Amino acid sequence: MTFYKSFEEFEKAAEALYLQSPSKVRYTVKYTHSKNVMVMKITDNVICCQFKTEIAQDVKKMDKFINNLMRHMVSKEH
Amino acid sequence: MVLLENDLFLSELTKLFQKARMKGSVLMTFKRYDGRDKPIPREGRPPLPEPQEHMCLIRAKLKTIKIATVVHQKDINKFQVAYSNLLKGRVMLCL
Repeated sequence: MTFYKSFEEFEKAAEALYLQSPSKVRYTVKYTHSKNVMVMKITDNVICCQFKTEIAQDVKKMDKFINNLMRHMVSKEH
Repeated sequence: MVLLENDLFLSELTKLFQKARMKGSVLMTFKRYDGRDKPIPREGRPPLPEPQEHMCLIRAKLKTIKIATVVHQKDINKFQVAYSNLLKGRVMLCL
């Protein structure tokens, strides 16, 4: 349940987790404007990966990641 | 939980972001959805038909306001563009 240090590490772990059980995994983003913080979490109720950021650069990367993830979710594979 | 059309969901989500400016957080959840609306039958019962299509279920929450939408494969491109723009406008300028 610890936070990953870099987005790249988080992304790698998240991808592996998703591919392991695509129908169980949920991905959550929590944005608190007053604290300028964004927390993302991916879990299949057994393993949980988290990442926290305060910089816009990471949000850009996260946007890309979500796009990828959504594409995976609607694709016919698995 | 209110299930909305894609466009309406995005405009409601924008409102949620506006409301959360001073206080509170917006929570968004993404999950794969295969259209199943019944529990999986016990062993020995006839199984449910195979899912026809994979979709993406998106939920958003601010305090007690909850909205949700289902994105189909054919709508995914349109939704992604709109969602990215929303995120860029709302979040990235503020961080």
